[in-house]
Amino acid sequence: MAEAGRLSATTGRPRRGLLRPVTALRVGIIVAVLATWQLLSASGLLYRDVVPSLAAIAVALYATLSDPTFYFHLATTGYEIGIALAIGGMSGLAVGIALGASKLMAKAYEAYLYYLGPTPKIIFFPVMIMWFGVGAGSKVAMGAVSCFFPIALNVAAGMREIDPVLIRVGASFRANTWQMVSKIYLPAMRYPVINGLRIGLGVALIGTLLAETKLSNRGIGFLVIQAYSLFNMPQMYSLLIVLFVISIGANALIGRLGGLRDIKQS
Amino acid sequence: MNGFAASARSGLLTRLLPAALGIGSIVVLIGLVEALIRLGLINRFIVPMPSEIFLAFPRIVVEENVLSRFTLTISEAFSASILVAVFGIAGGVLLHRFTLLRQATETWVAAIAAAPLVLIYPLYLVIFGRSATTIVMMGFTAGVAPTVLKTLEGLAGTRRVLINVGRSFNLTPSQQFWKILFPAALPTIFVGLRLGLIFALINIVGVEFLINFGGLGQLINELSERYDLAGTYAAICFVVLVSICVFVLMERLERWLRPGD
Amino acid sequence: MSGPSKGVAANAPQAAPGKPILVVHDIVKRFETPDGILTAVDHVSFIVAPGEFVSLIGPSGCGKSTLFNVIGGLIDGYEGAVTVAGERLSGPHAAIGMIFQEESTFPWRTVIDNVAFPLELAGLPKAERYEQARHFVALVGLAGFERRYPAELSGGMRQRVSMARTLAASPKIMLMDEPFAALDEQTRLLLGDKVLQIQQELKQTMLLITHNITEAVQLSDRVLVMTYRPGKLKREVEIDLPRPRTSEIVSSEAFGRYVAQIWGDLREEASRGLRDDEQHKLERKDHP
Repeated sequence: MAEAGRLSATTGRPRRGLLRPVTALRVGIIVAVLATWQLLSASGLLYRDVVPSLAAIAVALYATLSDPTFYFHLATTGYEIGIALAIGGMSGLAVGIALGASKLMAKAYEAYLYYLGPTPKIIFFPVMIMWFGVGAGSKVAMGAVSCFFPIALNVAAGMREIDPVLIRVGASFRANTWQMVSKIYLPAMRYPVINGLRIGLGVALIGTLLAETKLSNRGIGFLVIQAYSLFNMPQMYSLLIVLFVISIGANALIGRLGGLRDIKQS
Repeated sequence: MNGFAASARSGLLTRLLPAALGIGSIVVLIGLVEALIRLGLINRFIVPMPSEIFLAFPRIVVEENVLSRFTLTISEAFSASILVAVFGIAGGVLLHRFTLLRQATETWVAAIAAAPLVLIYPLYLVIFGRSATTIVMMGFTAGVAPTVLKTLEGLAGTRRVLINVGRSFNLTPSQQFWKILFPAALPTIFVGLRLGLIFALINIVGVEFLINFGGLGQLINELSERYDLAGTYAAICFVVLVSICVFVLMERLERWLRPGD
Repeated sequence: MSGPSKGVAANAPQAAPGKPILVVHDIVKRFETPDGILTAVDHVSFIVAPGEFVSLIGPSGCGKSTLFNVIGGLIDGYEGAVTVAGERLSGPHAAIGMIFQEESTFPWRTVIDNVAFPLELAGLPKAERYEQARHFVALVGLAGFERRYPAELSGGMRQRVSMARTLAASPKIMLMDEPFAALDEQTRLLLGDKVLQIQQELKQTMLLITHNITEAVQLSDRVLVMTYRPGKLKREVEIDLPRPRTSEIVSSEAFGRYVAQIWGDLREEASRGLRDDEQHKLERKDHP
């Protein structure tokens, strides 16, 4: 009866245990996927190297991670995305607050943001090249333009979801604009802002990487396209793996920092 | 910092003012850019005059087969959307039905939805070649995960009391799903479909641009490689307009299909 | 173990001779919680005769919602038996119509489609079920709103739609869990009138779970008062007010006396509940 507290009230299944069904299923799925991959690779059904053996991928992965120039490219991309997020984030935050605070502004301009948001930003790349050159500038610009929209829209929506009574409290204490923003709006909007940042990171990543694949001689995007053009498939897979691990990790990190319980919450 | 002033004015003015402000400021901005370029303060070889861009529109439409390109991009988007809808909704239903599967894989699906999947496009190039299939597959890959998640969210988020109403009428599991769970989840499923379509379209036009194949995305790429500045800007504007129309249409469709909300 | 209980009233209005519709016999329901075993319902027994309107009233935490779910067949794992129209309960019974406290109209269906829902399940052809459904829509006073969506109606109107939907299934007994809790007092009184009217017309047996004394006395033939957790029947009160009734009854002296009597019983239970709740919250703070 001492264990009664430990039993789940609904299922009665023990919470501890070596092989929880969920873990078993996950392991099972991973094993099945890897096995299928290896079989496909060995069978030669698909064109030559499209599905390299797991061993080849592992070797390439090791080679990539131990190559110092890889980290140079990683740093380049990281630096571009960081600045893009900063620029897009700050401007998105400012515009979002302005739109959220004023019904007039929102009615006048938010629709434009709303419909421009889903537009694929990569098509602006030629313009970015003309304005900011072929170097890091155009990549940063791509990333910044990409993440501006979701952040602005999320912040505007977040502003409107703030309990109006909190705003009246601030007004009753005669808080000035800066105080309202920093002490009431931002803390009350923590979740929408964090969420907007997560989405912003995602699209900034896409924008920057695509720009790198199109026209660059450095960065992860460039490495991927280089591997493709040399038809070095194991290398390309290893780069994709590293890239996905990093992006998923960064996403989870931002979410965790913002206090969201898990990546599912949106 | 409030809209009280605006709402205090008469009804008609309140409605017209924001729209006028929005459109007005854009017109002013365009006029300003035009003026600055003519004055030489903005380099006309980097930013073509808005009037030139405007004039380029008809030229582009006629010379560049915009209609057939548009049709190509739209049909790619359409194919991708069908795939996204079918597999996305089915996936969400499956995960909802099999709790263990959901517990095991939901975070994985969320991770996939957040990852820059578009970088897989060289892989698809290798598998499917420089063809429309690559583009459609890219759109599908990008759009399916958010749809699965939203479908799952919609089904799982059905209000407890509605499920209890079904139970009180002794509905079979199949009736419970079709008469209660699915209709209740439909609004969220639509959000998921819209998200999926957004991701799909971004990837479709993006990949068209990158691999220089296809419809509108390729058009922009070509025009920029020919250094046709006004044309490039015009084509970009055109794609933006198309994108806007697609989503407005989607919203209309949504509202027509779900008159209750 | 239950409080002083009386048998079925000799002058229960319109009581058809014969078997009771609902027999609740010695129900005990316990729950496992992090703080130990909780007894929500502790040996509760009562019956409801055909055509009667019975209210079950108690403070928050007295187990009345648990009882609602037990009788409705939505939860099991209890001791004792519930018999409906002679049959032992094993899951939701067709003879019981349930009305829930929360909004329960289907937002994606029009009013008429909501109300026709049970008829649809029964396989009636379209024309026939719409005809029947229209009758019930008119019965709850929403004639003309058939093609509207619930979102276009007020809270009180939506509850009426839920009521019409349940009535359309022609249940032998209507089981209602504080259906008017979300409405303001005046709307409640007027809706109470509506319910009385419907009950009169259909001779519908009703069991109402509520915490509102006015409502209980206004609508019922009998009021069962429950204690605070663990929930037992404390007292059964015959409401000997004339039928047919309207909401004007609330100003009569007899009404006031019944309310005072029931409040006398309830107050003790309610304050026990309040103290218990505060104690609980205090303890939570000390053991974070």
